[in-house]
Amino acid sequence: MKTFAAGLACALVWLTAPTALAHHSAAGVDQAKTVTIVGELKEFKWANPHSWMDIAVTNDKGETKTWSVEMTAPAYLARAGWTSKTVKPGDKVTVAVHPMKNGDPGGLFVNITLPDGRVLGQAPAAPRPPQ
Amino acid sequence: MTHRLAGAIVAVTLACAAALPLAAQEPLGALARANLAKPRPKPPFDLTGTWFIDQRNSENTWHFNPTGPFKLTPAAQVHYDAAKKAQAEGKVYHDDIGQCWPAGLPLIMTRVWPIAMIQQPTAIYMISGFMNSLRTIYLDGRPHSDPDVVVPSFNGESIGQWDGDTLVVDTRYFVDDHHWIDSGIPASDQLHVVERIRLVNNGNTLEIGYTMTDPKNWEGDWKVTKRWTRVEDTDIAEVSCLPDLNQHMPSTQSTDNVR
Repeated sequence: MKTFAAGLACALVWLTAPTALAHHSAAGVDQAKTVTIVGELKEFKWANPHSWMDIAVTNDKGETKTWSVEMTAPAYLARAGWTSKTVKPGDKVTVAVHPMKNGDPGGLFVNITLPDGRVLGQAPAAPRPPQ
Repeated sequence: MTHRLAGAIVAVTLACAAALPLAAQEPLGALARANLAKPRPKPPFDLTGTWFIDQRNSENTWHFNPTGPFKLTPAAQVHYDAAKKAQAEGKVYHDDIGQCWPAGLPLIMTRVWPIAMIQQPTAIYMISGFMNSLRTIYLDGRPHSDPDVVVPSFNGESIGQWDGDTLVVDTRYFVDDHHWIDSGIPASDQLHVVERIRLVNNGNTLEIGYTMTDPKNWEGDWKVTKRWTRVEDTDIAEVSCLPDLNQHMPSTQSTDNVR
């Protein structure tokens, strides 16, 4: 499906607005905007300081671009229900991201809708303080 | 000839023997058993634990915004203005951290990652979850190193002394490049940081009052107070900034970034 739901409207489905555990500036990312991309997962890296996904997205003109989606650290993904095997290359995924301001194909991860309908986000960066 | 050789051997032997007491006087490492065993007053608190910058009131507490009158030097003002311009254009300005340069003090303390702190009688070791940056605060009474010998670093050389219920830490000897306190505000080799560290809230809150000077970059004292909360449900993992990882980070790779 040549879906490039490049909705510039905010996605209706999102779990949280977590603080990104970024090792870099996010000034180039439009965190006020959320777009939803649908495509084929090329690679999913479960790694510190960031996990990431590369997703091949084909637009309505049949052009395919690879989106790099930055995620938080695995420890905070795990708290949101992720494992290293949640997705695998070849999976068709629907992912909401905060996109790059300059239009580059990429952005910060917001959430993913899995084939079984589950929606996974990422937990806030701040660990829980003692009660 | 034989006598000359024998004389030389005797001279070398005597010289070596004379040097031995000097060698024995070399400063002890912070974890040397003899150093750890020295009698010292009981410290007023133990920072051992894992800490996280307190973001309960704001996600922006990692910024080291100065309080009070503050004026950058002309050289620093050029960076600051350029950073503001880039920010207004949605660009990233000299994000050296994103390119895997160490954050350095003070920013390493407020990165949005936990910090493990291990306190010994002679030193406090801080390992940040952010790139596993190591910071050591020496408590064993040693002075700062000879400036002609010390190796400048991003976290500097920290010497701590107890002052009542407060640990006062003096840090100097920083690198002179790729070290920023905030976007567009550089740190130089003239940076000098004094921290007044306390434990409050029944030991669950770490409070540090910063006084920073850097005559290359700003006038007067830059003062700010930061707080961290103790966290019990996390550990520090191995974290490295790897080139191939960065290749998949659009925010570090963007051609719009000002480098």
